[in-house]
Amino acid sequence: MLWYKGWLETRFRVLFALVVWAYVLISAISRGVAGHAGPKEFLLAPFVIWLLVPIMLAGAGIHTQPAFRAVKGLHGSMLFTLSLPVSRLKLLAVRAGLGWIESASLIVLVCACLWTLFPQLRQAEFIEYVGVLLACMTPIYCITVLLATVLDDIWRLYGSGIAIGLLWALFSKTPFPRSLNIFRAMGVGSPLMAHSVPWGAVALSLSLAAALFFAAVKIVQTREY
Amino acid sequence: MTDFIIEVSELTKSFKSQPALRGLNLKVPAGSIFGFLGRNGAGKTTTLKALMGLLRPDSGSARVFGIPVADADRSAELRRRIGFVTEDKELYPYMTVEQIIRFTRPFFPKWRDDLEQRYLKTFELPLKRKIPDLSKGMRSKLMLLLAIARGADLLILDEPTDGLDPAATEDVLRELVAIAASQQTTIFFSSHQLSEVELIADHIGIIDHGRMIVSGELDDMKARYQRLQIVFAGETRTPAHWVEGVENVRREGRTVSILASRNVDAIVEQARALPGASVERFPVTLKEIFLEHVRDN
Repeated sequence: MLWYKGWLETRFRVLFALVVWAYVLISAISRGVAGHAGPKEFLLAPFVIWLLVPIMLAGAGIHTQPAFRAVKGLHGSMLFTLSLPVSRLKLLAVRAGLGWIESASLIVLVCACLWTLFPQLRQAEFIEYVGVLLACMTPIYCITVLLATVLDDIWRLYGSGIAIGLLWALFSKTPFPRSLNIFRAMGVGSPLMAHSVPWGAVALSLSLAAALFFAAVKIVQTREY
Repeated sequence: MTDFIIEVSELTKSFKSQPALRGLNLKVPAGSIFGFLGRNGAGKTTTLKALMGLLRPDSGSARVFGIPVADADRSAELRRRIGFVTEDKELYPYMTVEQIIRFTRPFFPKWRDDLEQRYLKTFELPLKRKIPDLSKGMRSKLMLLLAIARGADLLILDEPTDGLDPAATEDVLRELVAIAASQQTTIFFSSHQLSEVELIADHIGIIDHGRMIVSGELDDMKARYQRLQIVFAGETRTPAHWVEGVENVRREGRTVSILASRNVDAIVEQARALPGASVERFPVTLKEIFLEHVRDN
């Protein structure tokens, strides 16, 4: 039933993300991939949407979230949730798991549409590209999961933006190895463009995601409400 | 020997070095309706949250059904046996009455369909209505239904009648007594409404500044506590030392009013021995006991 509760909380966000993607895809179909050298380059353009959707769906940890609005002060029912005979680990894992599945499903769905619409993308590396997107999206998602354990809705969104910005600056503005750059791995370093899987970035993404989720679990288990 | 469902010993809890509980001691007997009284900020909600495992005490111990509330491994087991009604009566805003019942039911193997149906009818809860569209009274009733139907052995209720109109309050109080009687459920509830507590509680505890200042059976307490009014023909006098049991002494003109908690006969004798004194005894209400104690404290 926790999955059901999570779905009721996030369904309008999923719908919103679908509408945004539908708009992007319809624009691409009607105007071709105008302004881009080709569909591969077009894929890099809505990069920010790849990042925004997981942030939006990462949810509120074990807080109760309104269906769509990001407003403060609607979390009284969290005490009702915490009175249920369920461990805090399970509460967090189900909510975070659901948001990840929704984000991943959207990525797979959008990629499947692009693959169908643009024959130029039907190359061997496309599956790898989707896999890399899923892996590299996960730490971005987990940043929001972690922040949700300590921040309310609107601050969680701001916090996520700042944290991701800092992460991007770390990768881009410092002498950080390019092979580990998770943002590059979703763009010019992706299998579609570089024709090889950026294993370093994938490994770093998954390790970072695990560490962030572990930290979120520890906070939720020790936090007072 | 009395079985205690809740046993709290020397519990302390501070928030940013501001003490909320200062060595709280509390024992709630099995099957009782225990009214937990206190002023705003006295520590009632902190105690209730500590019992639900939502807060970690700084020191001391708290056990419910003999299980330490700090035992994270058995926390879910504890909550399966407790029905909790929160002070704010907030539930998921995106669910209807029917959805939240359907959501809650699977978590509790002892869920009572008969009680669910009974209270849906008694409380006249509209199944298809969204929770934000319910009045506060309706939300209180829905929370009570969700707490009761889970087949709980203990109900912990934070201000269960807060925001209810007199008719709804009457409904809720009547049902609480019925539940305690028919289901052998222990009810531990906090309230500001002394008249309500007096109506349904068989045990009370008064907390002030994070300490339990009075606790016991209500009937016993009301039998023990008496107000003595001493009227002097001439100048008012009081002994240098009253017999033990005098809780409070107040002078007004030629009248001295005493609240006594024990040794009442001895205190009366002592008062009668004062020159020109005539003494009358009056029963006291829970409100008087409460006010005298929290004022003194």
